[in-house]
Order: sequence, then structure tokens, then C-alpha cells
Amino acid sequence: MIEWFHPGLVYLLGALLIPLFRGRLKKVYLLSLPILAFVNLLLISKGFFLSEGKTWVLPFLGYDLILGRIDRLSMVFAYVFIIASFCMMLYALHVKGEGQHVAAYFHVGSTLGVVFAGDLFTLFFFWEVMAWSALFLIWHRKTRAAYGAGLRYILVHFFGGLCLLAGILLHFHATGSIAFEIFPWGGESSGIPLASVLILLAFVINAAVPPFHAWLSDAYPEATVTGAVFLTAFTTKSAIYVLIRGFPGLEILVWSGAIMAVYGVVFAVLENDIRRLLAYHIISQVGYMVAGVGMGVMGTAAGEMAINGAAAHAFCHILYKALLFMGAGAVLEVTGRSKLTELGGLYRYMPITFHLYMVGAYSISGFPLFNGFVSKTMVVQASAMSHLPIIWLMLEGASVGTFLHTGLKLPWGTWFAKDKPVCKAKEPPMNMLVAMGLTSFFCILLGVYPKLLYQLLPYPVHYEPYTPAHVVSMYQLLGFTFVAFWLLRAKLHGEPTITLDIDWFYRMAGKRVIWFCEKPLMAFAQFIDGKVMSLVDFFVWFSRNPATALHIKKEEAKLKVKRLMISPERVRKHRQVIEEKRSKYPGELPKLTLGSSLVLILLAFSLYLILYLLIK
Amino acid sequence: MKITVKQLFGVLYGCLLLSIVAGFFVLLYLHPEVHFYWERLPVFGAVYGFIGCIVIILGSKAIGHLWLQKKEDYYEKDEKNQGGDQ
Repeated sequence: MIEWFHPGLVYLLGALLIPLFRGRLKKVYLLSLPILAFVNLLLISKGFFLSEGKTWVLPFLGYDLILGRIDRLSMVFAYVFIIASFCMMLYALHVKGEGQHVAAYFHVGSTLGVVFAGDLFTLFFFWEVMAWSALFLIWHRKTRAAYGAGLRYILVHFFGGLCLLAGILLHFHATGSIAFEIFPWGGESSGIPLASVLILLAFVINAAVPPFHAWLSDAYPEATVTGAVFLTAFTTKSAIYVLIRGFPGLEILVWSGAIMAVYGVVFAVLENDIRRLLAYHIISQVGYMVAGVGMGVMGTAAGEMAINGAAAHAFCHILYKALLFMGAGAVLEVTGRSKLTELGGLYRYMPITFHLYMVGAYSISGFPLFNGFVSKTMVVQASAMSHLPIIWLMLEGASVGTFLHTGLKLPWGTWFAKDKPVCKAKEPPMNMLVAMGLTSFFCILLGVYPKLLYQLLPYPVHYEPYTPAHVVSMYQLLGFTFVAFWLLRAKLHGEPTITLDIDWFYRMAGKRVIWFCEKPLMAFAQFIDGKVMSLVDFFVWFSRNPATALHIKKEEAKLKVKRLMISPERVRKHRQVIEEKRSKYPGELPKLTLGSSLVLILLAFSLYLILYLLIK
Repeated sequence: MKITVKQLFGVLYGCLLLSIVAGFFVLLYLHPEVHFYWERLPVFGAVYGFIGCIVIILGSKAIGHLWLQKKEDYYEKDEKNQGGDQ
């Protein structure tokens, strides 16, 4: 009997068989893979394959590769990844061709590989597959912007992957262990190991912590309609997972996370592209999780609350963010437009899409009865329990901004704002609507019945989200955000601009490098090339008949001196003579006698002797 | 019966008022656990939401207009020029 079957392998192997199916059978096959993986997961949770707290080890080249580490933390992430992948594939079911589906399932499978990885080599392997498979979801858009953004995306992730590899090797060199546990972060006496810094850097690049976040807002909005929905979930949330594993309670993450939460909000105000606006809100929401990891000091009540909050928020975020991208994607799919300046008044044509989108918007804003409320407030509560007033205020403030953009500005600008619809539109294909409906159902289910989520979390949950104080203060916060929005809504219309972000540095640097190579470097190379070639040509010419060549050169030199003194007529004549000689060149070669040959040889030898003696 | 926008706003303002009243009620009668002194203010959520929203809009727009917002062809502009040179 099989000891264990990796849920990620269901996707990775299953993706390879997708091209074999056609038509309806293909759709059934695509949807059956997540179901199979989910059943697999249920069997694991029931202890049928490999129970929680156990590992599945593959001996390889003298190392024990831990492909399956089953515990509560890996299980909760695996559950949401698999559930979300089902909804996302349902949304993408109408897409013709195999490319996107294969890339999407490689992306899901490799993320599950990361989640279950118990050693660093396995982690690195799946980490790289995850980055590459995402690239193809971006490039499949097949626009110039997508190619550029995809290239920048993979270059950033190359850098992150190399940091991870370097960190792993240094860590292995220092400790002799490849186990993926909490990384050492110095004590009072010892410094911070470089290995840990490099690994943390790789993790925060994938978590899109500023200033390493620009790949996300750059690339995700350029991906295909359905590809972007897949992209929203896996890379950043698997980064949260590995941060929980490797760096719980690291103080720098608290501040990074809180700054992230606010940073995304500020940029979202300025965005005109609806999917880019939502991408900035991924950064903002992942900020809550990063802050949660930072507050997750082991062994304290606040720490356990923070880790639970980070995991729960990742769970909920994957669902509602997918839903939001589905809504924005549906608008792009039917209208071909994604800019607020080109949208408006679409409610008449797409009311169902609007209402389903709003479920996601209420969820991300943290309205009571929606899933964002039950998870976001856990992180905020952890900041209160850890006595971090500024962090608390930043996180609550980011909630205001979140509702302002995703819940008010974006839907207002897309579905209302203008008296007449800007263009003809209709509801998207049925599978998209059903997928949005299913995702909405999960968002509301977890909001109404949070115990379903809480029982999956890594630590026992001692938290009740629905206290009167929580509910009332959240209603006040969001209600008066609406009032301020309504007063200032004229200021929030889209502007046909793009917003500079950190990617400016490498985009500009890249341009300068290309310019430098094309212009000064090329000119210099051509100059050297030309000089060398003319020297070679001269020697070829000269060696045909050195005696005559020497004579011609001598005459030319004479002419150069003489032309200042003699009449132009004579100069012309002299020049004619030289030209004649040149045209006859090499002419008849002089016949050397034996004696003169010997003299020449002796001359050469004596020159060599002099040279030898001089150098010595 | 069709709900008019005016009625919708009536309900909304009613809810806002209710949330303020509820804030007082919760704080005075239920004595919830508070971590920071500002949580003792019954309308803290409302004030923070209102002012926070205005600050976010005006602050971000100021940063954008003065510094970060550029024309849409900002990055392509140079490429076109370079293409013309060749």
C-alpha cells in the first residue's frame, strides 16, 4: 500500500495529462483534480495515509528529503489552496487551449510542494517551479506589456531564488542540517547569521514586502483574466506560510507588515487600472499577515493569537481576493477595459457580477458576517494584546482605506459614476458567475460560522469575533468611511495616469544599461575593430612587396613635406607619379641574390640579438 | 415597490446614527475589555473612519499629483525615441 501520496503531485502529474482530453471530458478532468486532492487531504486529516505530526521522507543522495510534513499549520494552508484552486479552475473553465491550465496547475502543485516541504532542498525546488509557472500565466496574455512585466517578474524572482539558495547553502554549511525549522536570528552575544538574512530576504520578496513588492503590482494586472485569479493566491500566501515556519516573532516583520498595510492603501488611491488597484490591496492585506507573523512570539497568548490570525487571514484573503479579481476580470473579459477612466455605468448590464463582487468587497473590508471580519480582527486583537498602539492604529487605518477603494471607489467607478453605460456589456460566461457565486458562498459561510475556520488553525482559538464592541466599532469605522467617501467622491474619479513605484529604479536602470550597451559601448567596440582591421590591411598590402611599398611610403612622406614649398602644379604631378606607382603595385617582385638574402637573414639575427641583450 | 436612492440614503443615515447610539450603549452598559485609552471613546470608530478616510484621500492625492503620477506612456516614451534613432 502507498504510504503517502503528495497532494501537490495530484496537480503536477495531473497537469501533464491535460492535453490528452478534449471538450466536456476535459472540463470534468480539470475540476476532478482539486476534488481528488481534497479527498487526499481529508484522508490525511483522518490519519488514513499519514497523520498529523508525521513526515514522509524520501532518501536522496545521502540526504533525507522531507516531502511531506503534516501538521496543523501545513494542513490549514493546504485546505485553502485546494479549495481556492477548485473555484479558480471553475472560473477558468471556458478558456480554450491547454497552456494556461497546465501553468495554473503547476503553480498550485508547486505551492503545495512548498507547504509540505520539511527540508530546505525540497523547499527550494518547489519555490522555483512556483515562480516559473506563474510567469507563463502572465505571458499568456500575449501583449507587449505582459511580456515586459513577465520578464521583470521573473528577474526579481530569480534574485529571490538565488538569495534562497545562497542562504540554504550557508545555513547548511554552518549547521550541517537541511531541516526547515525556525532559523537562528542571533542572540544578545552573537550576531545575525548571513544565511538567515538571505533566506528572510527571499521570503519577503515573495511576500511582496516593500521595497521588494513592485513585481506584484507590476505583473499581476498584466496577466490573463483567469491567470491573474490564480496568481493572487499562491505566491504571497505561501510566503506567509514559510515566514511562519522560519521567522515567527521577528520584530522587524511587525513594522514591515504595518507599513505594508498602509503602503498598499496609499497607492491604491492613485491607481486607475482596477486590477492594479486590487493588486495593491493584496500588498496591503498581506501586510496584516506579515505583521501577524512578526507578533507571533512563541509560547505567549498574544503570539499564538497572532500566528492564528496570520493563518486565518491568509485563508480568508485567498478566497475574497480571488473573488475580487474574478469580478474585475469579468469586467475586463466582457468589455476589454480595465481602467476606471474608461469604465462606468455598467450596473445596468452586469448586476449579478456587481453583487458578487461586493461580497468580496465587504469581506476584504471586514464587515461583520463576512470572512474578513473574523480573521482580520484576530491580527488587530493580537496587536492590542502585544501592547502595540501604533501598529493597532495603522492596521485599523488600513481597514478604512481598504473599504474606501475596493468597496467604494472601484465599484462606484466601474458600475455607477456615469449616467450612461460607457459601452455595451453583458454578464460573463456562466462558469465565471458560478465560480464567483461559490467563492462568495465560502466568504459568507466563514463569516457566519467562523468555528469552521478556527478549528483548523495551528493553535487553539480563544477568541470571539462577534462581541458587541467589535461589531459596533467596525460598523462605525466603515459607515463613516462611506460618509467621507461620499463627500469627497468627486476627487476619487480615475485619472489617466500610471503611478511610479519601486520598479522605477530597475526599469530605469535596465534602460540605462541597454542604452550604454547600444551607444557608447558599441561605438567604442567599432572604433577598436576599425583600427585593428586597417592595421591588418596595411600589413597585408605592405608585405606583398616591402621594397616598393617602402619606396611609395617614402615618396608620400616627401610630398607631404614638399607641398608647402613647391607650386601646386608640381604637387599634382608628383601625386600622379605616386598614384601610378600605387596602381602598379605590387608590380614585379625583385629577385634577391643568395648574398643579399644572407645579409637580410644576418640582419634579422643581429636585430634579435640586440633585442635579447637589451631585454636581459 | 421600487426603492429610491433617497430612501436608501435614509436607511443609511439611520444606520449611522444607530451605530453611534450603540457605541454609547456598549461602552456604558456592557463594559467591554479595552486595551487603549481611545477605545473608551464611544464614537472613536466613527471619528477615526471619517478623518482617516479624508486623510488617506487628500494625502495620497497630494503625493500622487506632486510626485508619483505620470502620463501613461511614461515608460514607453524613451523606447520610442530609441527606436527612432536606429
